[in-house]
Parts: sequence; C-alpha cells; structure tokens
Amino acid sequence: MSTALDAPKARLHLEARERASLTVRIVVPIVSILIASIFTSIAMVIDGHSPIDAFVEIYHSAFGGKNPLVRTLLLSTPLIFTALAAAVAFRMKIWNIGGDGQLMMGAVAASGIAIFLSGAPFWILIPVILIAGSLGGLLWAGVAAVLKVFFKTDEVITTLMLTFIASHYMEYLIFGSFSYWRDPESSTYATGKAIPEVAELPRFWGRLHIGFLIAVGAGLLVWWALKSSRWGYETRVIGDSPTAGRYAGMSVSKNIIIVLCVSGALAGLAGAVEVVGINHALQPTALQTGVGFTGIIAASIARMHPLMLIPVAVFLSGLVSSGTSLQQMGIPIDIVLLLQGLVLLFVAAGEFFLHYRVRYAPRGEVA
Amino acid sequence: MNDTVLILSLATTIAAGTPMLLAALGEILAERSGVMNLGIEGMMLIAAASGFWITSETESLALGMLTGIVAGTLLAAIHAVLAVSLRVNQIISGLALVIIGTGLSGFLGDAATPKLTGRPPGARFTSLLPEALTDLPVVGPLVFDHDIIVYLSWIFVAATSYFLFRTRPGLAVWAVGDDPATADSAGIPVIAFRYGFTLLGGALAGLAGAYLSIHLIGTWQDSLTSGLGWIAFSLVIFSGWRPWRAMLAAYVFGGLTTLGFTFQILGFGVPTDFLAMLPFVLTIVVLAIISSRPEAARRFGAPAALGKSFARESR
Repeated sequence: MSTALDAPKARLHLEARERASLTVRIVVPIVSILIASIFTSIAMVIDGHSPIDAFVEIYHSAFGGKNPLVRTLLLSTPLIFTALAAAVAFRMKIWNIGGDGQLMMGAVAASGIAIFLSGAPFWILIPVILIAGSLGGLLWAGVAAVLKVFFKTDEVITTLMLTFIASHYMEYLIFGSFSYWRDPESSTYATGKAIPEVAELPRFWGRLHIGFLIAVGAGLLVWWALKSSRWGYETRVIGDSPTAGRYAGMSVSKNIIIVLCVSGALAGLAGAVEVVGINHALQPTALQTGVGFTGIIAASIARMHPLMLIPVAVFLSGLVSSGTSLQQMGIPIDIVLLLQGLVLLFVAAGEFFLHYRVRYAPRGEVA
Repeated sequence: MNDTVLILSLATTIAAGTPMLLAALGEILAERSGVMNLGIEGMMLIAAASGFWITSETESLALGMLTGIVAGTLLAAIHAVLAVSLRVNQIISGLALVIIGTGLSGFLGDAATPKLTGRPPGARFTSLLPEALTDLPVVGPLVFDHDIIVYLSWIFVAATSYFLFRTRPGLAVWAVGDDPATADSAGIPVIAFRYGFTLLGGALAGLAGAYLSIHLIGTWQDSLTSGLGWIAFSLVIFSGWRPWRAMLAAYVFGGLTTLGFTFQILGFGVPTDFLAMLPFVLTIVVLAIISSRPEAARRFGAPAALGKSFARESR
C-alpha cells in the first residue's frame, strides 16, 4: 500500500492509515484552522491592520455578550439547516450542491402560503408554513432526483442549474412582475408582501426566535435517523457501494429520491424559517447570500456529522456577524469570506492527513 | 428595427460572449483530464480585481491582463494541489476556490488605494484590423471589427479542438479523463496531465476575468462577474465538452442579454428574468437528453473519470 514501491527513489512516501487516532482527528482540524488564520492575518498585516485586534474584535462582536450571541445564532439558523441538507446527501455520495435554490423555493412556498392563509390562527399557520417551506425545497430537489433516476443526469450539475433558475424566478416574483408575492404598495423599490403578524416566529431570548431550536432539533433528528434507523443504514451502505446495496436487496433509485427529497426539505426549511423568523416577506436579496454553499462548507468542516456541524455553523456565522464591526475598524468585510474559504481549504487538505501518513525514507531504503 | 441594429447587436454579442467562451474552453480542458473545477467564478473574480488593480497602477493594459492570467493560474494551482495531490473532493475544493476568490477580490478592491473605479485612459483594446476591412458591410462589424482577445479566443477554439481530436497528446488527455488507471499503465503521466490542464484552465479563466473588468466593463466592483463563471461552467456541459459547440453556445448565451433589450424594443413581453434562466434550463434539458441515452452519453457526456481522484497505489 505504499507508493515507495512504485518509485524506489522517493524520499517521501505515503502510507494509508487504517484508522486515524483520536489525537490526529482533533489536532488536524485545529492546525488547519490555525493555518487559515495565519494566512488571513498576513492579508490584514499587508493592508496595515493588527490581526490580533481584529480577532479580538471578531470574538467580541460575535460571541461576547447576549446581543452579539443572539445575532450570531440568528445567522446560524438557516446555515444549520443547509449544512444538514448537505450532510444528509453527501453521506450517501449524492452531491446536492443546490441548497441555495431549494432554500429559495422553500421561501417562495412558505411566504405564499403565509399570505394566502392570513386569517388563520397562529397554531395552524406556523406548522403549515414550515411544511410548505420544506415541500418547496423537497420538490425543487425532487426535480434533480427524478432527472437522476430516470435520465441518469449528474446531480452536481442539475442542482446547481436549478439554483440559478430558482434565483431568477424569485427575482421575477418580486422585481420583474406584480405577482402575488409582491407588495402592491411598493413601486419605486419593489419589496415582498408582508406576511400576517401572527405568522411570525415567537422569540424566546431577545430577538432569537424558535427557528434556532427547530434547527437544533432537526440536527438531533437527522443524527438519530442516520445512526439508528433502517433508512440511515441503507444510505450508509449505498454510499459506500451502490452495488453492495443492490445485492442486499436495497433499491438504490428509491434511496436516491428519498435522500435528495430529505436534503431538499431541510434546505427548504431554512428558507421558510428565514421568511417567518427574520424577513417576514419574500425578500430575494436576503436569500441570495449563498447560505447553501456555506452549508456545504460547514458540513465538510464537521465531516458530515449532523451534530458537529451545529457548532461549526455557529462559528462560521460568528465570522459573518463580526463583518460589520471589522468594517468599522477599516478592515474590508470580505476578509471574513477569505477566512471562511481558507478554513475550508485547510480543513479539506487536512483530511488527507487523516487518511495518509507521510513517511520520510532515506534514499535507497524501501519501506 | 433595421438590419444595422441587428448586426451591431450581434457584434456586441460576440464581445459579451468572449469571457464565457475563454473560461469554458479552460474548463473543457481541465474536465477532459478528469478535474472538475467549480471555482471558475472565483478565478475570474480574482483575475478581474488584480488585473484591474495593476492596470490602474501602471496604466498598462498588457501588465493587467498578464496579472489576471497569473492570478487565475495561482488559484487553479490551489485546486490542483487539493484535488489531484491531496485527493480532496473536487466539489468541495472548487467551492473553496469560489469563496476565496470572492473574498480575496473583494478585499483587494476595498484595500486598494486609490480606489479601483475608472479605467486609465487608453487602457482598453481596440480593433485589430485596418479600417478597409472593418468598414465592410455585414462582415465588417461581425468578423473584422474585433480586438485581439476575440481573435485569440477563436484561435484557442480551433487549437483546443485540433489538439483534443487530432493529436496524440490530445488523445492522451481523453485517456487520462476517461480511464486514468489504463492511461497510467500506458505510460501517460496522469498527475502531470491533470496539473497541467487544471492550471491552463485557470489561466484561461484569468484571461477571461481580466478582459471582463479591464476592457468590457472598465471598472471594478464586488462580484463583478455576476455569475458569468457559472454560465461558463454550464456551457461546458451544454457543449458536450467540445470547443466549437462551446463557441456557438457562448454567443447564444451571451446574446440572451442583448436579446432581452431587442425584445423590449420590439414590444414583446418576455421578462428578462426568464431569458436569464434560459441557459440553465437548456443545460438541464441537453444534459437529460444526452445522459439518458448510452450512445449519446459516450459521445457527448462527461469524461468517465471526471471528479474522481487518481491514486496509483489504490488501483
């Protein structure tokens, strides 16, 4: 199992690890995040800022106190959903990268039904809206699922294309037409029609709404389902080897459809929760921030673990939430994106060292 | 609407489609070797920002374009190290590129002093050919009245097509992208090929980004590419990984924007949002048609080992 056999002169060679030890599994991600921070610091120093001040400010404005923490947790809520959406699919090696589109369609469905049912009481409205949101995301991912099962299309491409279609559709609903979703009062600057006040999610800690609790609950549910249910077992087997799954009598097509639908429903919930929790209307620009892609980052850093991705999502949201304070210090807000990208990069690269051990062998010596 | 307007808008379409075409050509080469790079948007952005910055500093068009090419290549190098050597999932690595490219370009745009706004006078491409040719009716504006980058893109189309379909190393690229283990047995350096074509893809995306910011738009703003990199990605699939089709498709996709204005002038009520959707809808339709038929999939489908990392020892 060593490349040294192929190239006897190699000084460095790779050895596959059977299983990474716990120390390695903890040290590698931490070192990865440190390296990402160092690179970001270099960018800040070049721009004439003190990285230490910046990191202290990031901590204070993201996690230091109730208000900053609430803001961070609010930002993390849709991210937890989209990260779960990515984790569910990616674990079965179904590459749903269209979380953003599913989120948008979830928001379209949720806001539509919220406006339609404006007379209904609170305890009917909220569940119906959340179900509608997840159905919106489910159907949008379902398009990719049906195309994959019946037309053998690559879901990487279809889910990505469906995201851009959803994005333009949403813009059409608000900016490009006088649709049901658009506020007829708004003429100079188009906005979405406000949902009824009773449909707004209740808040329990400052501005923090129960959407955050639903997201954490969804994480627990997904964790349990993947770990303990028959469905979770089947997705694991098929993810490892579709052929093995087929021989064991599992329907691969059925599982592809289910996994994509579950994934889409989770992303759709992100959209619904944003509508009833934050925007209280269909606001295209608020939903085009790339939370779906960031969800893939969060899930990857958490190595697709449905519970681990929650703290990762909170951490990444903290970075975003500190962006405006950094800007007040004169540090460009995009430094946050850069840091996020670098963390992903180095964590992904670090993954390699969980699977392989790099050995140094003196010339001529074959391990 | 008279013919002149039609011809002029077609000519504009060619310029507008050029960044997409260049980036798509680069992606075709990378994907043919088995490396999917979702980071086109990131590579174009970093090239657009850094190229524009250097051109404003030095007032040199050539230096700016060169910077863009280098920046795109460097970002692609990250992808190559991650995806080819470290065997990271190519989707995740590509997305990292998008985020880093967006972040770094935005950072650069904000940090640059003086601010990146106006293009230095004279820092744009002019028509390459003499007036005797550009003044000709119809073919003048359509064929002869273009700048050097447009002609370069045409040469690249012909060259990549010839390379991929008619030369031995070109066929080796197919082998590397379809069946790296067999290519490796045949003595083709799989890793070197994948590195080379990923970097080339980055260089072309960089050229596209710099051309866009310096020449076509003439300023820098955050997320200047506004999804062009993603359209280039879809172009690759739409074209069935073939350069000539990519060229045609780039102009069709590029023309959709122009078409929107034309429809408005003519009084047709086609919402621009639906025109903007069209490239993505068409890509899905074409992909479904090709993928569902094994014969078509073999000819126009993705390289068989696209997105899969190659490790000799786990063969």
